Amino acid sequence: MKNSIKAGIFCAALLVAPRLLISLGIDFRSFDHEGYTRVVFQSARSFAYRVQSHPDRLEVRLNGRADLPSPALVVPNSQLLDRVTCEQRGEESVITVHFKGAAEVRKNFILEKPFRVVFDLVRSEKTTAPPPQAPAAAEKSQPQEPPPAPRPRSIETICIDPGHGGEDFGAIGRSKLKEKDVTLKIGLKLKKLIESKIGLRVIMTRDQDSEVSLNTRASIANNQLAQMFVSIHVNSSFRKSAYGSETYFVSLQATDPESLELAQKENQNAENPGEAIQNDELKMILWNMAQTEHIRESSKLAEYIQNELNVLLGTRDRGVKQAPFRVLMRAAMPAVLIEAAFISNASEEKKLQREDFLDKVSLAIYNGISKFIYHFNSTLK
Amino acid sequence: MKKKTRTFLVIAVAVLLLALAAHRLLRKQPAGFEPELLNREDTAGGGIAEFIKVKLFFLSETSRYLQPVYREIEVPEIREDLYRKFVSLLLAGDGGHIAPVPGGVQLRSLHSLGGGELLLLDFSESLAGSFPGGTTAELEFIYFMVDNICYNFREIKKVKFLIGGNESKSLAGHIDLERPFFPDFSWLEDK
Repeated sequence: MKNSIKAGIFCAALLVAPRLLISLGIDFRSFDHEGYTRVVFQSARSFAYRVQSHPDRLEVRLNGRADLPSPALVVPNSQLLDRVTCEQRGEESVITVHFKGAAEVRKNFILEKPFRVVFDLVRSEKTTAPPPQAPAAAEKSQPQEPPPAPRPRSIETICIDPGHGGEDFGAIGRSKLKEKDVTLKIGLKLKKLIESKIGLRVIMTRDQDSEVSLNTRASIANNQLAQMFVSIHVNSSFRKSAYGSETYFVSLQATDPESLELAQKENQNAENPGEAIQNDELKMILWNMAQTEHIRESSKLAEYIQNELNVLLGTRDRGVKQAPFRVLMRAAMPAVLIEAAFISNASEEKKLQREDFLDKVSLAIYNGISKFIYHFNSTLK
Repeated sequence: MKKKTRTFLVIAVAVLLLALAAHRLLRKQPAGFEPELLNREDTAGGGIAEFIKVKLFFLSETSRYLQPVYREIEVPEIREDLYRKFVSLLLAGDGGHIAPVPGGVQLRSLHSLGGGELLLLDFSESLAGSFPGGTTAELEFIYFMVDNICYNFREIKKVKFLIGGNESKSLAGHIDLERPFFPDFSWLEDK
């Protein structure tokens, strides 16, 4: 019995010892992008870490011993970074990224093959402007442009997703009006408004009559680091009398409760990234539900846009709703889907053929986006 | 501790646990109704055939809620055959109402899985091919099927759709069809 206990202890020591004795080599690199600086720590094997963010530095703490190529690295020609140091404090290693002035972490995520921990850092001056004014009641029927909001630092890129395209016509009206053509027109009008009024970067999932898969649409937004995803659609119902506009954000209620529970656990772990998830299947589930982290903001964005649609379109308010939209689930940012009007309703189909109606739709979405940006910035104060 | 007190405590704990288990069980039951069992003479065979009275819900132009209609189904020996008959009734529609299903769509197969809690419905490819599009239309079809089934058959907790024998990402480019759907009885007028 005693021998087997000894053997057990020996085996456990063999398993644990390499982690305690062998140092983890970590490579560091950084890149300056427009508006942010990306910091990447790469290693041959994955590691758990904790983050402490200070105005003048970022500390990444790892259990055990870790080594950079040099204990102190000066970062030449960086707009935000001064130097990176690595030191041993008791049982843990602390890698410190020293800033030039004040900065903060905007995003932190993990990439694999090879394992990388990525931080996107931005300068931490927070400036916000007053919200765009809502149109006066007497002027509700006319398109009203809010005063141009200054470009907010926090939201810099918006992804506009005109629904359907190419061989995927979307819904078709009685007079053969195609959803794909209407959504593209609204999307291009909205892009123009955002760029000209608040000067934000706009990326389109499509800017011509081309077919783009639902997964690719979300990937475009994620890869371009968009901070808002706006999918534009027109609606159709088996009830020909159905009419009005509605705005959706994603619903998780119709998904498997087990997946939902996993996603919620992951969100709770967001404050402690050290508990990085290792299981590939679990990662896939969480990736499929990337939207879970942003649901509250998505709901707010939907509310702002729906309010503006109600004001400018004067059609039936079908409200803000939730549904398990495939294109929204994989978007890792606040994301909404707008159903501007019913192409299956004869009267609304006629409206959707008019440029002035499409102008109102795009202006209403723009107004909603502007108000959301103000709200978003004020929460960062 | 006296024997009487100990016995009392054990019984009290047992009652409490039973109450908790019952509460949990009842809470998980979806709101639904129990189809009424009817016995009828089988004129063909001369015996007694069992029928159930089910409550179907269809769309109408006058309401955004699904409207109730009653139908009777003869109860076959195999439970899955009953579900199959029920879905056929849904696909057949009701003269005064709208069945939110494109014309010509057929049920290819049906499977009861997960101890009967999950019903897998495999529709013909024409479901996607002739679907009119639109988020609302997709939701109308999905909850027309899921709510009707889960409302009438309490043992079924969720429904998953296949098209042409395969999983489909979406019906018409909106709702994620790869996951099973739980009922949302807010679609029903008479919940």
